[in-house]
Amino acid sequence: MTSMNMAGFPILTAILMSTVLGLFAILFIPAERTRLIKQVSLGFATVGLAMCIWLYFAYDSQKGGLQFVERVLWVKSLGIYYFNAVDGLNLPMLLLTAVVLFTAIWTMWELEERVKEFFALIFLLVAGVYGVFMSMDLFWIFVWYDVSLFPMYPLIAIWGGTRKEYGAMKLTLYLLAGSALILPAILYLWVQGGAVTFDLFELQRIGFSAFDQKLTFLMLYLGFGILAAVWPFHTWSPVGHVAAPTAVSMIHAGVLMKLGAYGVIRIAMTLCPAGLGYWSDLMAILACIGIVYGALVGLAQTDLKYVIGYSSVSHMGVVGLGLATMTVNGINGAVFQMFAHGVMTALFFSSVGYIYDRTHTKYIPDLGGLSKTMPIASGFFIIAALAGIGVPLMASFWAELLVFIAAVSVFPVQGVLALAGLVISALFMLRVVQRTFYGEKNERWAHIPDVNGFLAVPRIILVTIILFFGMFPKLMLDVIQSAVIPFVGTF
Amino acid sequence: MEVFSRDPVLLATILGTSLPFLSMATILIFTRHYPMLSSRISVSAIGFSLVSAIFLLVKLACAPGPIRYETGWLSSGLLHVPFGYFLDPLSLLMLTIVAAVAFLVQVYSLGYMAGDPGYSRYYAFQSLFAWAMMNMVIASSMLQLFIFWELVGLASYLLIGFYYEKQSASQAGKKAFVMTRVGDVGFFLGLIILTIGYGNLGISDLNTAASTHVLSQNLITLSALLIFCGVVGKSAQFPLLTWLPDAMEGPTPVSALLHSATMVAAGVYVFSRIFPFFSASPDAMAVALAIGTVTMLLASTMAMVTFDLKQVWAYSTISQLGLMVMALAAGGYFAGVYHLTTHAGFKALLFLCSGIFIHQYHTNDMRVIGKQGGRKLLIPMTCIIVGALALSGVFPLSGFFSKEAVLGALAENSNPIWLLAGLFGAFLTAYYSFRLIFFILCPQGGIEEKHPVDEMDAHVKQEHAEEHHGYLFWAMAIPVMILSALTLVLGFVEHPLENFMAGGIPTHHMQGVQHAAEQAHGGGHSWLLIAGVSAGLLGIALAWFEFGRKKAARVGFLGRFPTIWKLFERRWFMDDFFRKTLDRFVYAGLTRIFTMNDRRIIDGGIDGICFFTEAGGRLFSFLQSGMLQYNLLIMVLAAGVAILFFLV
Amino acid sequence: MNNLNTYLIISAFLFSLGLLGVLQRRNLIGMLISIELMLNAANLNFMAFNRFLSPEPFVGQIIALFIMGLAAAEAAIGLSIILALFRKLHSINIERAQKLKG
Repeated sequence: MTSMNMAGFPILTAILMSTVLGLFAILFIPAERTRLIKQVSLGFATVGLAMCIWLYFAYDSQKGGLQFVERVLWVKSLGIYYFNAVDGLNLPMLLLTAVVLFTAIWTMWELEERVKEFFALIFLLVAGVYGVFMSMDLFWIFVWYDVSLFPMYPLIAIWGGTRKEYGAMKLTLYLLAGSALILPAILYLWVQGGAVTFDLFELQRIGFSAFDQKLTFLMLYLGFGILAAVWPFHTWSPVGHVAAPTAVSMIHAGVLMKLGAYGVIRIAMTLCPAGLGYWSDLMAILACIGIVYGALVGLAQTDLKYVIGYSSVSHMGVVGLGLATMTVNGINGAVFQMFAHGVMTALFFSSVGYIYDRTHTKYIPDLGGLSKTMPIASGFFIIAALAGIGVPLMASFWAELLVFIAAVSVFPVQGVLALAGLVISALFMLRVVQRTFYGEKNERWAHIPDVNGFLAVPRIILVTIILFFGMFPKLMLDVIQSAVIPFVGTF
Repeated sequence: MEVFSRDPVLLATILGTSLPFLSMATILIFTRHYPMLSSRISVSAIGFSLVSAIFLLVKLACAPGPIRYETGWLSSGLLHVPFGYFLDPLSLLMLTIVAAVAFLVQVYSLGYMAGDPGYSRYYAFQSLFAWAMMNMVIASSMLQLFIFWELVGLASYLLIGFYYEKQSASQAGKKAFVMTRVGDVGFFLGLIILTIGYGNLGISDLNTAASTHVLSQNLITLSALLIFCGVVGKSAQFPLLTWLPDAMEGPTPVSALLHSATMVAAGVYVFSRIFPFFSASPDAMAVALAIGTVTMLLASTMAMVTFDLKQVWAYSTISQLGLMVMALAAGGYFAGVYHLTTHAGFKALLFLCSGIFIHQYHTNDMRVIGKQGGRKLLIPMTCIIVGALALSGVFPLSGFFSKEAVLGALAENSNPIWLLAGLFGAFLTAYYSFRLIFFILCPQGGIEEKHPVDEMDAHVKQEHAEEHHGYLFWAMAIPVMILSALTLVLGFVEHPLENFMAGGIPTHHMQGVQHAAEQAHGGGHSWLLIAGVSAGLLGIALAWFEFGRKKAARVGFLGRFPTIWKLFERRWFMDDFFRKTLDRFVYAGLTRIFTMNDRRIIDGGIDGICFFTEAGGRLFSFLQSGMLQYNLLIMVLAAGVAILFFLV
Repeated sequence: MNNLNTYLIISAFLFSLGLLGVLQRRNLIGMLISIELMLNAANLNFMAFNRFLSPEPFVGQIIALFIMGLAAAEAAIGLSIILALFRKLHSINIERAQKLKG
């Protein structure tokens, strides 16, 4: 595997380049030509999306394994490779990233403040995200990971809303604390592996002692878990989401949180299966607490974005629970849930963003009766809420089904408790829907126009994806499963 | 395509059950702003479904066994979820009922909902419901059934909260969804346990497995009880029954379709769907019997004190569902299903008639309707009496036959208390139904003279007078008349129906069951026949004595006991209990504690770490005097000390 | 006179003088001049060691030249900093520059 291995068109590099080139293209456009900047951004995002969709369907899930491999030795003395590939675990994530980037940019079409810097930072952020998802080299994963974290601070602190400096600072500190756990763990594994390679799969073949696995698994789990809002390291998430502008919330909740869960799967679980076995009880307990706790705290919130933030905590708990089971169903469900939650939460923030842009409030008691004045905007939110509840024929239903089947068989107590969380999540979602959208027509918002056809497009895309994978879950699960079955075999 | 031409059954099944979905999508996406077109699309879709349902019923009436179509939907690890259709007498019967009632209700709604601003939305949701319900009915596996069961719940939520600008309506929708969700989580857990323990959720496989002792008894009992939780939620059984009366906030046709005839019967349907599975666990059956009985009696008492037309029928629905659960739990498979069938007919009839009254007089209060001359509306008045007679179990209406079948099943049980409860329930049912009838038919002090009305009112009346003979009125009246006719004849198809139903289930699965059903109609229980009818007649007589006759006090015997009245009126304080639990335990308890924990302990802890770091920095900042030369001096001294240390 | 110690003593004296100046003078220009003194002390050391001890006769001289160049650059930067500070504070008294006080 040390030889160059680049057959055909380097599609993954091309996807990565679509964001990097996008970034440079934006930097070369004069700042006052905002419209052109938006068009160019959307153009590059479309190219990325098209390539990801092509990649998704070109991937041979019958064959499975790593495909579209690009592998070049980069630094020989340290064993760093430029190594990109896709398998069933990261392919859905790449698709998700492309979709969320595309819809997020379209959602921000009405942005007027510092347009150039905003879109440039967004592209930098997404370049990091793509990089993490496609790299199979620990060094590059970490580098891209930090590339994706850094733009969050300016994005929130400059374009944010409620308590933006506080939120940005909190989020950044939390995530850097996570990085501070990940880097030593990666270096430790590198040293234990003979300090000759950062290649994930070569390290996997080398294998580590049980003690090393337990230690590094915990570090990696906590480090990445912070980004996946594992209880009790979740409080940055609602605060950060509330502070962030719409597109950033979408990308952040939709994609970045998945980065954490993906890191746990890709690095921690791949390299330290024994550590996973040792800590899985802890993971299940934390995940179960997260599910119930997130929903209960969400009940008490009066800010729309806080509500969604806590629902994310609850839904990411489902991912954690699925991973902790170490079964095919559980991990299938967890990865599916990562995708489903990403699309769903992007829809959530996208519709809240529209409402907030028009009413300038996210305070639920101030809203109310919105579906009289903006039925379509409300419809999008309600669909997202239903997906959040786990109504069948929405993608998240299947994910939850698989996770709960696995959880009840492996961790009966946690599984049943987490199921009870479903009732609470129904209660709190419907509560928000009722208070925000139902009720007498609110004269205060009577003048506000509904979503027009142009701005509805990104939301319609998200709704379509939710329903599509809800009705045809096989299309996604076959891909995921092609990686999960051999993966579970390594435990 | 070739498959379809060779297999018209499959084609009819797919088209019949999927067209309403297409109609919903079309309405929501394209024709939202064209209400008339929307309603036409929806009605023709459901009309086609009805035709194909009847076609399937006729075509498969003589089929040797159930037909099952399946294709893979999802597979993960060892779990395979199929998507398929399971056509047997039970599902075909239910499919026909659903399609027929849905069709009639949609036609009726052409009149009832005319001019409503949400007309298109209404028909979209109706189509959603019809689609979900029909797919639920013919699902081939329990998981698929559960999926559509949830979607039916979603349709119910949307339709109850149809007038979402009304606080009470949106509240009721939420309540219905959450309460049924409580049961559904149990259902879901039951299915998960079955998946883990058995791995196959196909309906026929489950029934076979249960009766051939493949599954362990504990597994059956546990999962049967959990699945029964779902039945309790959906069919509004004790203790999750209070959402149904509130659900009457929806438009009346919705109440007729979802919350009396079809959707709430879904719970009972599931019970009968995997009846052999349930009957393999005597413990689960005993629990179901007790819950059914408690529900039936509780709901009847509640119906006796309300003055709201729709509430009476809502409570009555709950109590009749309780009766069906009793019948099934006592082993009367056919009795339960048969009562479900007849009940769907006459309860839809009662609701739709009430809907006409409500539409005409803009009130739900039976006393007001009576005073304003409700009895002058001849068609609905006649039909509502037919329905009430059927509900009370009077010969020769359909309710008589099915209720007798149920009582017969109960009489099979060794413990007479269930039969007595059933008879008492029949008495109460007749009493409250005719209390309502007499309130409308014989209002206190006759019909009021028309009080002076202003122009507006007169105008409204004028409009209604026109409606009375117009197309809209007939859109409402014809479905009502069809349903009355059905109520009249449905009783006489008992034996053909029974043979049809028995044909679908291989006898060796149903040994004990078949036996009970035969016994119930064996004619050996003439005393039962008399007891049943007399309980009903007694109830009607009491109602006549208290509300019907000329000098009646029109208070009712319960009116003399304010405490009991209040107890019944407040639904045995069940709502207060739930409310208090939710408020005290969830909102004021867990939510508050957790929110405090989040703000104070977790966030506070993190902020505390930041604070200490900052304070520590401040503490040592005195070293920074700001004087450049002090720093230099310290540097030089330190360098000097280091030199001394290393040199000496 | 012509031995190493004499040069070293002079150089040490020069260096101490410069250090004292840096630590004691409040005038920034004075401090800069004192730093030059210290640099020249170092230069003297280099030349002395080169003259008496080194087998290579040129190394010390080259370094001394380097230090002169460095001193010139340092003076230029130092003066420009002082100029910037003067524009801001209207003074070249070091006691006025106390922004970093904790």
